[in-house]
Amino acid sequence: MEEKGYWNPVLSGILLGTLLFIAYAVAGQGLGASGAFARTMAQLLYSVDPDFAHNAYAGKYLRHGNALSNWIVVEVVGVMIGGFISALLAGRIKQSLDKGEGYSSAKRIFFAFLGGVLIAYATRLARGCTSGQALSGASGFSVGAWIFMLSAFGAGMFLAPLFKKQWKGL
Amino acid sequence: MEHLYPLFTTGQISSNLNLFYGLLIGIGFGFILERAGFGTSKHIAPVFYFSNLRVTQTMIAAILTAATWVVIFSWMEWMDFSKVFIPPTYVWPYLVGGIIFGVGMIMAGWCPGTSVVGMVTGKVDAFAFVVGMFVGMWFFFDTYDGIKDFANSGYLGRFTIDKFIGGDMFTSSYLVTVVLGVGLGIFMHTMKKIVDSKRSVENE
Repeated sequence: MEEKGYWNPVLSGILLGTLLFIAYAVAGQGLGASGAFARTMAQLLYSVDPDFAHNAYAGKYLRHGNALSNWIVVEVVGVMIGGFISALLAGRIKQSLDKGEGYSSAKRIFFAFLGGVLIAYATRLARGCTSGQALSGASGFSVGAWIFMLSAFGAGMFLAPLFKKQWKGL
Repeated sequence: MEHLYPLFTTGQISSNLNLFYGLLIGIGFGFILERAGFGTSKHIAPVFYFSNLRVTQTMIAAILTAATWVVIFSWMEWMDFSKVFIPPTYVWPYLVGGIIFGVGMIMAGWCPGTSVVGMVTGKVDAFAFVVGMFVGMWFFFDTYDGIKDFANSGYLGRFTIDKFIGGDMFTSSYLVTVVLGVGLGIFMHTMKKIVDSKRSVENE
């Protein structure tokens, strides 16, 4: 099956912004992602060792029962379903490793992993990620969202020359 | 007059119904992210090289669209925006968290939401990122005691633009958001032009 093209970026943005507003209007909170990772990990650690319920940070997730019975976790399950359906209909489900031309696969996987570690840590400091903090915060006029967004963008831009090979030709 | 929205935080729908709507909203979110091209690091990493503006344009359009809906619904008194959760501002952890986040993003080419889409559509790098995220969360839980004071420093509460510079939602917050969004868009386009012209010189 031939791959379908992507949507126009501005049209995508208008749809995304409208959906974000629907989340505000229904749930009284914006879209998010990183919280679901934190809660899943907390629940996992708790199931291995019940003492984890006393963890200084993650204890708050476990106080009201299962850390996974939460809006953001359910929303992210929806993201998995929606992303899969879209890619399926567009003929884009396939195993691949996205990187610049000729870049080592092992290095690419290593940096994707390490980036994940750093980003997880960063989201707990920043109380959210590109979805829950930047997008949902800035749309609600939060000054903090702009602090987060501009410092993330600045740091990425500053270090971009070091990762030029990984993204060559993109 | 009672405001109609938000439904959940004004007690008009049950917690379970809210979760069900959350699932539907998530499905829409995943679908839009994938169709907008956010399901591949090939579109996310170029944000930092100004070589492809797709992701930036979508983000800016989304912020301006949502902010416009907020202003319309608040102006018409259909929505009580004070009942919508906006993450409180903590200046220093947001600044440092933002920097670490940016470093992670140029390394990985993913952020949490997009990696979920990448993972379910078969991207191996997204899977590695997701595994890294779990490890990073664990690391944070284990080290939180030591950084607790810093993580809660510079607290300003629900700190919107109008609280910072005066005015109200309509006269200051919305206008500044539009100016920031349009300004960022112009900056990105200008940088792309510079990068493109450099590239064509190199290729001659």
